[in-house]
Amino acid sequence: MSVLQFVDVRKQYPSDSVAVRAVDGVSLKVEVGELIALVGRSGCGKSTLLNLAGAMDFPTSGTVLIDGQSTTGLDDTMLTRLRREKVGFIFQSFQLLPNLTAAENVELPLLLSGGQKARENALDRLARVELDGLGHRYPHQLSGGQMQRVAIARALVHRPKLLLADEPIGNLDSATGSTILELLRRITTEEGATIVMATHSAESTAIADRVVEMRDGRIISPQ
Amino acid sequence: MIRLFVRLILRPLRAEPVRTLLTVLSVALGVAVVLAIELASDAAAGSFRSSIETVAGEADYEATAVGGLDEQIYARLATLPIAIKVRPRIEDHAVLVDTKQSLPLIGLDLVAHALDRTSASPTVAAKGELILATASGHKAGDTVTLRVNDHDHQLVVRATVPSETSFAVVDIGTAQRLLNRPGKVDRLLIDAAESLEPALKKALPPGITLAPFGARTEENRKMLAGFRSNLVILSYIALVVGAFLIYNTISVSVVRRRNEIGILRAIGMTRSAVLTMFLAEAAIFGVTGILLGVPLGRLMAEGAVGAIGATVQNLYVSSQPGSIALSVAASLKAVLAGLVVTLAAAWAPAREAAAIAPVEAMARGRKDYDTGIRQYRDLMIAAGCALLAYLAALMPPIGRRPLFGYLAAALLVLSAALATPAFVHAATRLLRTLLRKLLGVEGLLASQSLDAALRRTSVLIAALITAVAMLVSVGIMVGSFRETVIQWIDSQLQADIFLRPAVPATADRFPTLSLGIAERVAALPMVAMVDQFRAYSIHFRGLPVTLGSGDANVVRQRGAFKLLEGDPDSAYQAMLNSDSAIVSEPFVNKHGVHVGDVLQLPLGEQIRAIRVVGVYTDYSNERGYIIMHRARLLRYLPDPAPSNLAVYLKPGAAIVPAQRAIEAALADARVLVLPNQTLRREAILIFDRTFAITYALELVAVFVAVVGVAGALLALVIDRRRELSLLRFLGAARYQIRKLILCEAGLIGLLATLGGVILGGVLSLVLVYVINKQSFGWSIQFHVPIAILISALTIIFTATLLAGLYPARVALSLNPIEVIHEE
Repeated sequence: MSVLQFVDVRKQYPSDSVAVRAVDGVSLKVEVGELIALVGRSGCGKSTLLNLAGAMDFPTSGTVLIDGQSTTGLDDTMLTRLRREKVGFIFQSFQLLPNLTAAENVELPLLLSGGQKARENALDRLARVELDGLGHRYPHQLSGGQMQRVAIARALVHRPKLLLADEPIGNLDSATGSTILELLRRITTEEGATIVMATHSAESTAIADRVVEMRDGRIISPQ
Repeated sequence: MIRLFVRLILRPLRAEPVRTLLTVLSVALGVAVVLAIELASDAAAGSFRSSIETVAGEADYEATAVGGLDEQIYARLATLPIAIKVRPRIEDHAVLVDTKQSLPLIGLDLVAHALDRTSASPTVAAKGELILATASGHKAGDTVTLRVNDHDHQLVVRATVPSETSFAVVDIGTAQRLLNRPGKVDRLLIDAAESLEPALKKALPPGITLAPFGARTEENRKMLAGFRSNLVILSYIALVVGAFLIYNTISVSVVRRRNEIGILRAIGMTRSAVLTMFLAEAAIFGVTGILLGVPLGRLMAEGAVGAIGATVQNLYVSSQPGSIALSVAASLKAVLAGLVVTLAAAWAPAREAAAIAPVEAMARGRKDYDTGIRQYRDLMIAAGCALLAYLAALMPPIGRRPLFGYLAAALLVLSAALATPAFVHAATRLLRTLLRKLLGVEGLLASQSLDAALRRTSVLIAALITAVAMLVSVGIMVGSFRETVIQWIDSQLQADIFLRPAVPATADRFPTLSLGIAERVAALPMVAMVDQFRAYSIHFRGLPVTLGSGDANVVRQRGAFKLLEGDPDSAYQAMLNSDSAIVSEPFVNKHGVHVGDVLQLPLGEQIRAIRVVGVYTDYSNERGYIIMHRARLLRYLPDPAPSNLAVYLKPGAAIVPAQRAIEAALADARVLVLPNQTLRREAILIFDRTFAITYALELVAVFVAVVGVAGALLALVIDRRRELSLLRFLGAARYQIRKLILCEAGLIGLLATLGGVILGGVLSLVLVYVINKQSFGWSIQFHVPIAILISALTIIFTATLLAGLYPARVALSLNPIEVIHEE
């Protein structure tokens, strides 16, 4: 069953006189438990595709289905609910809130959705990314790898079906990057989560179940 | 350099027009208030005699005596074999009945005056005629009704004189008749060379004061100095609050441009250039604020002059508010104050910017962490400031000015500002769990966000704390004063009904009742006793004072005066049998006299020695009272007309029928018959009107602070756009973002209110027991007007909360995708 499906999706942005086609007729199915690597040069449309997949943006045309539910026609409240329940985000620069501890960062999605036992779940998630005992630390007291683990724990804390990662190891050294990739791989196998990862690195593509290459807003491989 | 300034400073300011405008507005309001108070108090206090001088001309000397001068003295001076010119004058006040306009009534020797070529009004008005200022709205030939004391008189307007302030001029004979002062004049204006002063003094009886012309105006100004300086200091509060906001704005500017400054320093910009750049940014706020503030201040002065003028009349001296003149000196003072405050507030952040090392390209969190570390050091300095404030509060006044009291207040504000980061840090930590429970995750995030951005939020909260504290402390001071006055009125106003002429009375103007009125009232069957009170405005040791007389027997029986010093029985006995007086507390404070001291008072044409036998509480005016027994004073000032009557009814007599009976008995006189309750209400009304201006000043300061909150929250939103956008990625709904910003605004309001109440409570002690006591000499019982304070604080809290609405809107307009990707 598909967790994520793009059906002839196009996304245009108005830019001065000419509209820019960030995504141009993309159709793609992502199955449960898959780890997809989205590759291509900067500006090829990877991040836009992730935003559409994460219900952060609407397509200009076509349909995006997240766990079978189309984002088209949803109002802001419904989009927010969809995002809360189904999607987790991981960013290149971790995007942790500097004034919150690791545990507070992780429990944030649960708190925003009014979930119960937020702290308990957050500590459990931190333990799963091998950060037990570090929940009280602030981001500036953590290493880059640890920060990304916190970000992963935060992305997973509400048990989303779809995890979207934008260059997750782009800011890490190669050894730490490898550990993070291993962690992501483990998440798909052990927890059955689906990951779509925009990346430049060959190492990332190596662990992916499928590599999707984009150019000028289109998928060029596999055709 | 200019290009850099345009690119690095001006462009960002243009990019955030609302925030820039709010900062400019805070400076503009601060400058406007300072200027408005300066101009309004100038206009209210600067016109004691201007209208009279305009029409009557000036002189070298003036001779005056309590109770007036005998016309014979005029004749005696005129026949002296020295080269002098003497002009008699009578001055009082009257009411134009048709317009209910109160105006000075001046009696001049118009025949002599018309012959004087320098005179501004070379017109002769015959008996039954008067000359009016054009401001009165009448023209020559009109018949007007003039109410003088308790009688109406019909007079024909002989001519009008162009003037913006109203006055009426009559011939001296007419004035004597209208005022019932046969053979008396109020003053003699004398043109004489300085060398002739000894000869003049020799020719005058000892009780007559010969002073250089205008000395009285100077004395009045001196008397008003305390009142004025307190008002001026209050007017600076808005500017001080504005200073916090400038500090905050420039700090934000520096924090945002830390990386830019590092790069610029690396490529060759000097430290002084960086410093100049940020000071110039502050100067832009300052200069723009001043440009807006000066015309705004001129406008605000129009509103303030009425209120200040009323206070001056009630507490000090008769004056007609003059026209407001935007003087160079007042404008310069406001401009300088605005510039100095702006640049001084910007100095610390600008210096910090200049100190940034070229290699520095650090994150914002680091700086906030530094502030976190320094808060303990600042807390220690705050404790030191508080201790110094305590010591300053114990110091005596300097030249009757509570300079150390002001210093204590300033040190307390500084202490609070320094303690604010620690206070905010501790409070947000303590409140975190509670906020999360009450307001959900938004409450938690708001408390954490304020704590994390401690550097800027604490400055913002300190600004609001200062404004709230000033409101609270002045509120407590005025509330305490009001409560004390109410209690005092209850004990002082013992009589059942009071009578006075139906013309306005002020602190130095005591219209009199016609002779016989007291007797007619006393003859009524329900009346038990009538006390006749007479007041004169006199000068003692260079300051105006009120000399009064009443029946010491009545006072003793009814216990109207509460003595602070002296034994009541022996004091009243002494008043009955000797030249003794009781004096009011403000008089004691001004002149440093005590029970047993002997006052040398000019009474009639002689100097009399009057012994002080008691000191009593009085809140009716700030000039001070000397009260003698009526019969003793009549020996020296034989005019028996009373200024007002206190009527005591027989037991069981109802007030309303008694009032009607008195009114019926005095139908031919223009007299106000006021029951005790009405007079009490009137007194409280006057009190409230007197302090209206202080509340207005406080509210401007609070408004500036709330404007500052809006501006600073806006800056916080802009700087935290990444965090806010990330929250959207993590599942935050739009309403949650709005709620978060409003929680932050509410928390700022709550902490500022809490801090403001604490600081305000302490400041109120300084105001009540130090500044008020040293400035005015009033003993005030401490009283907290809880209901008023709670209402005021609720309004401030709500206003702060509302100040978050626009920043919340901006936060909602952010595009999370763009923000996250540009980061």
